[in-house]
Amino acid sequence: MHTHVWKQIRDREAGKVHTNHFANRIKSNRISQLQLSNHKDIVSPHKGAVNSLQIDSTEGRYLLSAASDASVAVYDVQRPSASESAAAFSKHKCLFVVDKQHQQAHKYAVSTAIWYPIDTGLFVTGSYDHHINVWDTNTTQVVVNFKMPGKVYRTAMSNLSTSHMLIAAGTEDVQVRLCDIGSGAFAHTLSGHRDGVMTVEWSNSSEWILVTGGCDGAIRFWDIRRAGCFQVLDQSRTQFGRRPPILKRSMIPKDSSTKLSGTQKKHANGSGSRQLSIGRVPSKGPTKQRLHPGMLSTQDRATAHYGAVTGLKATEEGMYLLSAGSDSRLRLWDVQSGCDTLVNFETVRLQINKPLQLATTQDSTLVFVPCMRAVKAFDMWSGKTYTILRGHYECVNSCWFNEQDQELYTGGNDRQILVWSPARSIADEMGEGPTEDQDNWSS
Amino acid sequence: MENIPESSSKGTKRRREENSDVGNTSSLEDDLTFTDTLVALRIMRAQFPHIQKGSVEPFMLKSQLYSSVKDRTQVDRELESLRRDKVLRLFKLNTGQDDHAVMFLDDYLNQIDRVVKRMEGKKVEECEVFGWLKTHVLDSKLETGIEHQELCSLLSLGGKVKDSHISLLINAGVLTRQLIDPNMYWFAIPNIGSLLKGLVQGRKEIISLLSRRRYKEMMLASLEKKRLRMSPFDVRFHLRDLIGSGHLRTDQTPTGLIIRVPKD
Repeated sequence: MHTHVWKQIRDREAGKVHTNHFANRIKSNRISQLQLSNHKDIVSPHKGAVNSLQIDSTEGRYLLSAASDASVAVYDVQRPSASESAAAFSKHKCLFVVDKQHQQAHKYAVSTAIWYPIDTGLFVTGSYDHHINVWDTNTTQVVVNFKMPGKVYRTAMSNLSTSHMLIAAGTEDVQVRLCDIGSGAFAHTLSGHRDGVMTVEWSNSSEWILVTGGCDGAIRFWDIRRAGCFQVLDQSRTQFGRRPPILKRSMIPKDSSTKLSGTQKKHANGSGSRQLSIGRVPSKGPTKQRLHPGMLSTQDRATAHYGAVTGLKATEEGMYLLSAGSDSRLRLWDVQSGCDTLVNFETVRLQINKPLQLATTQDSTLVFVPCMRAVKAFDMWSGKTYTILRGHYECVNSCWFNEQDQELYTGGNDRQILVWSPARSIADEMGEGPTEDQDNWSS
Repeated sequence: MENIPESSSKGTKRRREENSDVGNTSSLEDDLTFTDTLVALRIMRAQFPHIQKGSVEPFMLKSQLYSSVKDRTQVDRELESLRRDKVLRLFKLNTGQDDHAVMFLDDYLNQIDRVVKRMEGKKVEECEVFGWLKTHVLDSKLETGIEHQELCSLLSLGGKVKDSHISLLINAGVLTRQLIDPNMYWFAIPNIGSLLKGLVQGRKEIISLLSRRRYKEMMLASLEKKRLRMSPFDVRFHLRDLIGSGHLRTDQTPTGLIIRVPKD
């Protein structure tokens, strides 16, 4: 194994292997060996289920976790806590925890905690007590507070934004609200969903595009500069593979052209009135609701899943979107064409009542999905199960992949945060031979 | 010990050479997997159990296809292209979260004709709506569901549509209302209500049969010989469905295939 790596380094020096290839090869090799970490452990102070995990995007060092006992904690995943630095197994205790004893803490479960994308000076938490708090990390005080009309399921801030500091919040209410940290007020609301919104994600390609998944099974794309959503994903629109072939595009739509004319007819007829004789052409109906052109999409009732949409993840380059639903299906969508690429992931059962957090590797080859008690890694384009990571005692809620160290962090209902990393043989670390097996009781 | 599997496999091989379509007597072990979705569909259609009471054309479940062809993505894509070529139709069933039934288009049209014949006693002029359905709606609308306005506009290409026509379609079982949305209908296979009930009960029966055992597993060969009390389908039908939907697992052992209830 080591000689192999030295040879590759030599090749890189000589220019036979491109630097990126070299790095990617080592990374994918490490990812293929993921298992429950034998050298790192995160000590979780939570007394309730861990609902969300996130590592900051600036340094890739601090892990933020939110739990159902209203506690939020931050850990340093690169340096272990001081007491155990000598041992081969490093324990990472939390740097601080904000729990119910704090005056400004949440009263009920915290469902989401995210870092401010610019630096780790702020973090945002959303909770079932209808509040979104923005905390200052160094003083652990709430600086801004937003009151929502319902339980907050997910909050998200755009990693790419240079001109806005908006927090998108998905709640029990049908409207998605955008909260502005700078002014402390709501910027605007996005309506179109017909039931609560369980997941929100900002696009990785544009700072203005937001994707939301609702309990009504619809996935909507919003451009926040315009009214209404500009795309609704429909599971009956499909394509084979990564990109629709250019020739076939003109052939696909016998289905989609009837759909387009269908939406126009719906608009002209209005939603409330129903005529007596149905055979009449709809555009001659007496009541014609005049809708803003941007709001035409509220009439579109296409669903992406047969149940609620419980998890969304956009790939790193922003071209594809993964969605998990309570119908226990995981679908891969092509964002540009809005079609389902028909990759079948072998998910048997997924959790239905809580939002799930999916994780992908940076080169978008693997996707990690919490499936009840195990975390399954699927190959993105063939849908085959790559590996199954079993370690939690109860349902897993969230996973986060740390691209720098190729480690996966998962949090579940059993209050644990587990670390999955490529195996490191302890003997190499210590510089000694294999440790002797000593039993205390047999002398 | 070695004679029994040898003789059964020899027997099925000989029979298969003589008559390739009669799959009723071959063991599931021999044809658990196929190379192609269309081949799998045809063979499963031939193996559809003969049910005396209700006359139903053969239909297959999508989960059966997943257990029969190795690559699930390939199954999805081939089903999609067959659906677009109007060879078969997909129907969403109400027996589970993601249950779909696959039926060849000709079988579906025959099924509708059977239903119409049985309804001949009632008003004859209203039965023309079935003809409109077949020519205008089924031809252009290939999805599993349809919206009310669109349905009416497509049917009105055949003639004047009244509310009673739609109720006739619903009574016949060709359309069902969607529970989530009052304006949308699902296409449905008429007259399979009792079969669907039998499907659900048969699934439960097999799973409880295996769960009651000490190690929650059984050899496929002995499981196949059981007769189900509450389901009109045979064990092989249910096994393909349960393996495809992930409720049961198969493992290869030196003595043959073994069926297990998975732990997670």
